[in-house]
Amino acid sequence: MKALAIARVNLVRYFRDRGSIFSVFVLPLMIVILLGAASGGGAVPKLGFVAPAPDKFTAELQQNLHAVEGLKVVEVESDEAAVRGVERGDLQAAIILPAGYEQTLRSGADVRIRYVTRKNPNIQGITGVVNATVTRQSTLLRTARFAQMRGAGTFDEALAIAGQARTALPPVKVVESVAGEPLPLAGLGQFDIYAQGMLVLFIFMTTLTGAANLVQTRRLGVARRMYSTPTPVRTMIAGEALGRFSIALIQGGFIIVGTWLIFGVDWGNPIGTALTIVVFAAVASGAAMLLGALVASEQQASGITWAVGLGLAALGGAMIPLVQLKLLSDTVYNVAHVTPHAWALEAFQSLVADKGGIGDIAGFLLILAGYAAVLLLLATWRLRAVLVR
Amino acid sequence: MGAAWTIARKDLKQRLRDRSAYIIGIIAPLGLALVFGFVLNPISDFRFTARYAVADLDGGPVTALFVDNVLRSTKGVEVIKVASTAEAEALVDATVNPRGGTSDKKGADAAYIFPKGFSADVQSERPAAIQVIGNQSSQTNAGVALALAQGYASELTSVRVTVATVENLTGGGVDRLAMGVAVLKTPNPATLVDSTTATKQLDPVTFYAAGMAIFFLFFTVQSGVTGLLEERQTGTMARLLSSPIPRSAVLVGKMLSAFAIGIVSMTVLMVATTVIVGATWGAPLGVALLILAAVIAALGIVALIGGLARTTEQAIAAGSMIAIILGFVGGTFFDVSQAGGVLATLRFISPHGWFMQGLADLSAGDVSVVITPVLAMLAFGLISGAIGMAGLRKGLRA
Repeated sequence: MKALAIARVNLVRYFRDRGSIFSVFVLPLMIVILLGAASGGGAVPKLGFVAPAPDKFTAELQQNLHAVEGLKVVEVESDEAAVRGVERGDLQAAIILPAGYEQTLRSGADVRIRYVTRKNPNIQGITGVVNATVTRQSTLLRTARFAQMRGAGTFDEALAIAGQARTALPPVKVVESVAGEPLPLAGLGQFDIYAQGMLVLFIFMTTLTGAANLVQTRRLGVARRMYSTPTPVRTMIAGEALGRFSIALIQGGFIIVGTWLIFGVDWGNPIGTALTIVVFAAVASGAAMLLGALVASEQQASGITWAVGLGLAALGGAMIPLVQLKLLSDTVYNVAHVTPHAWALEAFQSLVADKGGIGDIAGFLLILAGYAAVLLLLATWRLRAVLVR
Repeated sequence: MGAAWTIARKDLKQRLRDRSAYIIGIIAPLGLALVFGFVLNPISDFRFTARYAVADLDGGPVTALFVDNVLRSTKGVEVIKVASTAEAEALVDATVNPRGGTSDKKGADAAYIFPKGFSADVQSERPAAIQVIGNQSSQTNAGVALALAQGYASELTSVRVTVATVENLTGGGVDRLAMGVAVLKTPNPATLVDSTTATKQLDPVTFYAAGMAIFFLFFTVQSGVTGLLEERQTGTMARLLSSPIPRSAVLVGKMLSAFAIGIVSMTVLMVATTVIVGATWGAPLGVALLILAAVIAALGIVALIGGLARTTEQAIAAGSMIAIILGFVGGTFFDVSQAGGVLATLRFISPHGWFMQGLADLSAGDVSVVITPVLAMLAFGLISGAIGMAGLRKGLRA
């Protein structure tokens, strides 16, 4: 029961600091909101449209682009403004028509339309529809040009007839179907994935800051004094870890309820979610204790906390989703599974995407429990070594 | 000034002996930049490879054109010819590598089925369709397969329209196949040319290298102020002040050492990420100016916090919190400029935002583009620094 007393002191000490409220409650929600906004947040993508001297063909192209669903066409004054808009994120892409668009096309010369987009793989869809729309107009002009070259008639005659022919004739179609198994996490929304990632990132980071507390306990001599009383190292570790563990649970619960209430994030089976948080919080507490037993000063502990907390999260799929890592490289995907983060995320994703129950995530939970046990044992061993040195 | 130098030198020596300076100033940001580089580099190295099955039940020239001119001329595509729809379906149904069928995996990412009489149908005015079966786990490659088919179908429709137009105008029949081939060989008059490379955006690897560097800079230079507060708490400050050293020299000395550490850590990070993960920071002079301004901004803000804080712990806690907020708002972890609207503008209340924007501008502009970001960061540094130094000076009186 001494462990509980230590845990209580740890908790009181933690929440007396106002900064703790910030890192446990304010920061995670703030970042989830930022992430949601940075990932586009489901807003309709905007396409900048630059036409220095509007003519008939320009107007037609603009109209066709306007007709594309899920795309907002915005008229932009100049090339520079369009490029700037894309750079600044006001526009997702921009299309820049040259002056004399119609005239050049009529003269038989070719036109190159400049296209600018963000260096972001998530918005490649826009490029496809813009390209298709430009091609649609272009092929009709090609027909007119072709007929003119063959001496069949004038450009305008041919263009008019081609337009009619296109509406009258049945197009050659593509019939699409699918086969095979869908990707394991296909049923997962983008925002759900971010929320899971941030949950894992923050539980681990916040808990890891506890390492600095343990270092302080050591540095102030509290740990040695405790050791001189009939308090075994494992009780000390258990107490300190329990303090961090409860903070992790509070934060985890807060993030889950918060994202559920505010953003409607689906977390799946509540018992499965709770169990995953409990086991992952234990892993994080173990890591914090080990770090606290290893490093020499609080400053070092906080630096390492940032590096390890963010590094493992980035590596483990909390920032770039596991599905994407898997798509890109087997090596990266395998390395991800060295981190406990990846296993916790697997569990969360199985709960949500596959509507899994406890049985489906038992394997992941066992692996996480293994991490927790090893880390806590190592921490106890190291702390004893440091204290009796 | 001599005293300031001495204090700065002593401080530097002390800091360099302390391992935490290296951890926060170099190891943590470098480690994170490396992790991001490791995770993100496959994205930039991505090379397209796909296996597509073709069931040519048609055996006509229009199908052959697609296989030979479209599929086989697309880099990275391997074509597997099969005899029946069932065979094609079976290949797609087999589990494929999510990144596309590689040689060691059997199966196909997608299959094309050209029905019997397809070529004839296309040349007539009858409805005609290409069937595409995509493997669900191979989203990207199946998507490419579909896009290729759609592109070809739209070209065929265009041929149909052209043939009809010419026939209508001349009032006579033409050799539809020959004309179709001629049309397909005629380039489209208007084409889209991607000039995204001309824009000022950072590639993901550089983005994270720079983001982590500036994020940790605000932790690194905290030593300048926390050292001051520590000396005040431990009483060595009183001793220092009783010596014939002006108070300003003490302040300047402390700040100088933090300044040096900031510059060194940023430079090391820039060089290391360039060499190890291939980050491209941009023209050296521009980068140097941005780093200089960023370190001054960081020092100013840290001084302001130190000037208002009562204890070292308070200064560290508030400093970290503000560094985190400014870092996230300024877009060092994810590109908030992409968010558009308020968030994209909000990042300019943070020196981090200016630093990242400066680097982005520099990536496709000449050195003069950094002037605005540099001035903005200097303004942050000098204004907050002036207030902070006044506060710190007052604190030294005690």
